[in-house]
Amino acid sequence: MRLIPDPNPPRLRVLWVSLGAIAVALLIAGGVFAAYGLSPLEAYGTMLRGTLTDWKGLSEVLRRTIPLLLVGAGLTLAFRAQFFNIGAEGQILMGAIAGGGVALFLPLPPALSLPAMFVAGLLLGGAWALLAAWLRSRLAVNEILSTLMLNYVAQYILIYLINGPWKGQHVRGFLYSDEFAPYEQLPTLPGTLVHWPTLVLGIALALALQVLLTRTTLGYELRVVGENPGAARYAGISISKVVLIMALITGGLAGLAGVGEVAGIHHRLLEPAQISLGYGFTAVIVAWLARGNPALVLVTAPLMGLILAGGDLLKISLNMPFRVIDVFSGVMLLCLIASEIFVRNRVQWRGR
Amino acid sequence: MEEIWNALSRALSFGTPLLLASLGAIINERAGVVNLGVEGMMAVGALAAFAVAYGSGAGEGNLYLAVVAAALAGTLLSLLHAFASITLRANQFVSGLALSMIGLGVAGLLGKRFEGFPLFNQAPEWPFTLGAVLLALVLAFGLAYTRLGLVVRSVGENPGAADALGIDVLRVRYLAVAFGGAMAGLAGAFLSLAYRPSWTDGMTVGLGWIAVALVIFVGWSPLRAIGGAVFFGLLYYLQFRLQGQSGIPTEFFAAMPYLLVIVVLALAGLRRVQGAAPEALGRPYQRGER
Amino acid sequence: MRTRWLLALVALLLGLGTTTAQEKKLKACFVYVGPIGDVGWTFAHNEARLAAEKAIPGLETRYVESVPEGQAMPVIDRLVSDGCNVIFTTSFGFMDQTLEAAKKYPDVIFAHASGFKRAPNMATYMADFYQVYYLNGLMAGALTKSGKVGYVGAFPIPELKRHISAFALGVRAVNPRATVNVKWINAWFDPAKAREAAEALIAEGNDILAFTEDTATVVQTAARKKIPSFSHYNSMYKYAPDYVVSGQIVHWEKIYIDFLKKVQNGTYTNKNLQDVDYWWLLREGAVELGAQTGMPINPKFVPALKAAKMTVNGKQVSVYDRVMELLKNMSSPKPTFDPFTGPIRDRYGVLRVPAGKTMTVAELNSMQWMAPGVVGQVADEPKQ
Repeated sequence: MRLIPDPNPPRLRVLWVSLGAIAVALLIAGGVFAAYGLSPLEAYGTMLRGTLTDWKGLSEVLRRTIPLLLVGAGLTLAFRAQFFNIGAEGQILMGAIAGGGVALFLPLPPALSLPAMFVAGLLLGGAWALLAAWLRSRLAVNEILSTLMLNYVAQYILIYLINGPWKGQHVRGFLYSDEFAPYEQLPTLPGTLVHWPTLVLGIALALALQVLLTRTTLGYELRVVGENPGAARYAGISISKVVLIMALITGGLAGLAGVGEVAGIHHRLLEPAQISLGYGFTAVIVAWLARGNPALVLVTAPLMGLILAGGDLLKISLNMPFRVIDVFSGVMLLCLIASEIFVRNRVQWRGR
Repeated sequence: MEEIWNALSRALSFGTPLLLASLGAIINERAGVVNLGVEGMMAVGALAAFAVAYGSGAGEGNLYLAVVAAALAGTLLSLLHAFASITLRANQFVSGLALSMIGLGVAGLLGKRFEGFPLFNQAPEWPFTLGAVLLALVLAFGLAYTRLGLVVRSVGENPGAADALGIDVLRVRYLAVAFGGAMAGLAGAFLSLAYRPSWTDGMTVGLGWIAVALVIFVGWSPLRAIGGAVFFGLLYYLQFRLQGQSGIPTEFFAAMPYLLVIVVLALAGLRRVQGAAPEALGRPYQRGER
Repeated sequence: MRTRWLLALVALLLGLGTTTAQEKKLKACFVYVGPIGDVGWTFAHNEARLAAEKAIPGLETRYVESVPEGQAMPVIDRLVSDGCNVIFTTSFGFMDQTLEAAKKYPDVIFAHASGFKRAPNMATYMADFYQVYYLNGLMAGALTKSGKVGYVGAFPIPELKRHISAFALGVRAVNPRATVNVKWINAWFDPAKAREAAEALIAEGNDILAFTEDTATVVQTAARKKIPSFSHYNSMYKYAPDYVVSGQIVHWEKIYIDFLKKVQNGTYTNKNLQDVDYWWLLREGAVELGAQTGMPINPKFVPALKAAKMTVNGKQVSVYDRVMELLKNMSSPKPTFDPFTGPIRDRYGVLRVPAGKTMTVAELNSMQWMAPGVVGQVADEPKQ
């Protein structure tokens, strides 16, 4: 067997390989389920039946998809520019803080409140990533380190706020802010937690970023910077400018996701771990699977949303421990990226 | 004086798992492979160590075997990453993320039956600390002055040239990743045998991530890793020691270790004294490609 | 068959609900905020669930762990459609969704731990430790040589302020000059922070420790330094048999069994829970003094506590006797003692509980001030 590089793989092969990888992942995870004393068929049956065949389940998939969509779309751009932002968790929290701050303290006409919250979230989330990008371009601070550390800092800022100056008057001393006013809460699809305006925003932005990346000068510059910094310098592209704009976008989208979570689901600020829920890390998977195409996030985010919601069902219906979801998504992810090689290469079978 | 000694001993204690794990990560990164799965490997190591040391629960489990088991478990898990990222040339960052999920998940699932039990044959902390420091010295020397060290570095800096010299790039990288896994496993063993002698799901509380960050912080130098681990350990301890000594909110002290890591790196950047990342870090090697 | 009819007849005669009450299948489902693991809050609820299952014939239970706050609704939806007819939500953060769910599913009975909102089909319940903490404080005050008692706290919320204050009142009742030094770790579960916070407290001269965190880390750390400690929430005696003095143990099963039995026999229905609020303490057996069930004080420390004296109403008594007397008093059907009986000033000297008054449940639940003797930063504390 030999692998022959193929820079422009046919679409169909991408599909087949991805499906193959998912099948392998299902087999491996099935083994884990079996080892745990649960029939894999029952496990998968529960996951699929509960998510795809009824509206309640489907709405859960959608709810999980929303933050993944926004954060993931932003991250595809960051990865394209070789900016390894693993601080989306912190950027989500900063977005939530900004949105919450506007909701709680800025007296605005009701019609302007929600838009202002989103703008504030976009700006503060973006600023948080921008800080890391600036540290990298000015002071050569590695962004993996800085974004990771800034996650912790964001957590403590939020705890400080809800523990101190922003603590609610009507929460009996618990660590919550007061509830947002009704007009500061996002509408949801009836009977669900799907805050659809954020969903719409996510879809629109994913598509917009795709256009930005493929049809604009900035997108072109960003691709060059990511693929060949040397050539970018030669072509007179300001790398630091491109990276700063990109950081603003990637962090900004995570910030929007943070606003969506607090305005759509919680309606208040609360402990950081209850807001970000690991979406920042899961979105790395989403972005990676989209292979650098923001629009493809429209497929990969629901896929991860399905896994998360399906995992919840394993927890609820089959009383599986919550760690089962980690194993499941980890295996899925590993198989998908490991299969990448069969996308980028043609397999040639040769007899001896 | 006593205060200083005490702070230093806390720094060394808390710094030990960080040092162990980051030494391993330094080696696999010097060979060109990033592994973000340290947290997962640490968790698996902690569980393996506890399971062996616990035995039937009466305190008769063998501690030496427990340490070996932790290293093995970490290695085993790291090989998944090696296979995906070296053989199949998958993206190292994402593969590492997947690894941390799998590690935490598997440890959480398999560890259910060990939760809530104390370990009666607790291990002392100092052998781990001493071992880690000595190992750092050995690795620093080895990387700089031995042929093996040269091989590792060349594989990480210029795998094409190393290949041309007849070095088996893939094998060196596999071994380096396995070493990283073993060290993360040992860090886990320290946690579950000595630092907090018991097993709980999630007991690694993000230390693996800090170890990953430390590698960058110390500029991929095993020697500086000692200082980095002690520095972070000191800050981590001081956040509690300083709490309540002034009117500054407790959350500020809690965020201090993370902020200072960034600040120190930024200052290093200002003075341009940062260690450089291995040239081929994060890039899979394929023959005939440059 | 015959007995069932007989029972039904009796039930009818007594007017206690319907004949189907006994036959009605009871499926109680639990929504947990954390993982079951180790020895924390969720673990205790899960142990209680198992105990209830054992104690009540015909009871079927289910649980879902690690449900994030604010997202309980989809879980409840699923549980209801799977046939759960009693649902317990075990975190303050689930309050609003539980209320919403109670409106959405009027036939299902809900009970929410630690909250204050109720509905005709939604009760609230809480087992609280403040009395136990006071008794722990008496022992700590007797055992400390340095006069400094350390406390590792999770978050400065009313529950902890109440517990730490009760603890400090106990400490000061024995040793009026002793202090309770608090370090916050800003986490419910974090062994590393708990360890380093405990180390910092020990370095500052505290020679006895108590804490709120979901593992036994503080107990283990104290034992290593040969310092006594108090266990929290579950039995931690086994982690350090020579050093755990006493502690607080919860028995949620007392509440669960009582509640479910009353649902089963028709006392509680989906119409009459508006005022059902369990605030269960020592009297009801929902909490216990000790580091292990059935052992209020570690025998190793009994001689020292018997030797230690304190002044009560002008008379010298041994601390051991005082603890036992108050334990008996507060465990009796009609307790006459309450740790939060006035006059109590906060640590800034402001009178918080007037003489002769005791704090109400509502006051305890929203307590912001700290008792004298508490040292350390406390967020959101009124200074006047």
